[in-house]
Amino acid sequence: EFRFGPCRVEGVVLPELWEAFWAVKNTVQAQDDITSVRLLKAQVLQNVSDAESCYLVHSLLKFYLNTVFKNYHSKIAKVKILKSFSSLANNFIDIVSKLQPSKDKDMLSISESAHRRFMLFRRAFKQMDTEVALVKAFGEVDILLTWMQKFYQL
Amino acid sequence: MKHLLMWNPVAQPRETVLYSVEYQGEYESLYMSHIWIPSSQCSPTNGLECDVTDDVTATVPYNFRVRAMLGSQTSAWSTLEHPFNRNSTVLVAPRMEVTEHGLHLVVKLEDLGPQFEFLVVYWRKEPGATEHVKVVKSGNTPVHLETMEPGAMYCVKAQAWVKAIGRHSTFSQIQCVDMQGESLPL
Repeated sequence: EFRFGPCRVEGVVLPELWEAFWAVKNTVQAQDDITSVRLLKAQVLQNVSDAESCYLVHSLLKFYLNTVFKNYHSKIAKVKILKSFSSLANNFIDIVSKLQPSKDKDMLSISESAHRRFMLFRRAFKQMDTEVALVKAFGEVDILLTWMQKFYQL
Repeated sequence: MKHLLMWNPVAQPRETVLYSVEYQGEYESLYMSHIWIPSSQCSPTNGLECDVTDDVTATVPYNFRVRAMLGSQTSAWSTLEHPFNRNSTVLVAPRMEVTEHGLHLVVKLEDLGPQFEFLVVYWRKEPGATEHVKVVKSGNTPVHLETMEPGAMYCVKAQAWVKAIGRHSTFSQIQCVDMQGESLPL
């Protein structure tokens, strides 16, 4: 299960997510020509406290569902890629549906800190050409999964 | 864990009717409902069932549809009445084999695939016996449970557990072993 601070997510098998991404990794990352830019940079994911992690993963996964996957989908030609993409997207939906970030006032500073991290990522995404940003963001799912793995317990 | 989609045949004497299965997860139905993905195993098939286990890779509702094909003719799609979520899976009790190797009580469980773990409960058959529990991470490998005392009888039961869907099966039938004889189903 995932434990993002107080937020627990059961019923997601992280190896299934890795398996889905590895199946598309080469195809996706080969489309990314701008290797000097990274959207999920260190300031976004490094030293994230447990308390912040639930807010941050909720924002990131929702962005991936509502923006990255939604718009990347039309680029997918091969059925094999479509299947892996579907597995990732549906597991992200499962995770987001089970995350319940606290809305308590005393968590305000923590949620704002997580929001600042997310905005770093989102700003970098918006500064790029949309098509290029979509490919790069999808190609960085391994960076996202690596970070999420820290909060995963067998 | 195995998930089978089944359907009724289209009657067409002396002809081979093929069927094609497609699916969409909650993501597709929410964000791109026009998108359906061909099933891994049955696009097409001449059978009346389809193993969709490898298609259902998230614990969210999945829609399925099937259509018949005969030459260039295709039927309309028939869609599952209610979406399927793998967390509604009913797990059956695992088969197990309890044996004694010398003084050792050994259990071997059925191999049900990588997503399965097992909870094995065993005890010495005597008044006020204490139950011991062991988690077995995979089937098909003999597992040592206990070093037995001569003349005593030991009993074992097991249940299957799938973390991905947070569900476990009922317990298997109890099997007991005494030092001299074979395992005795109770």
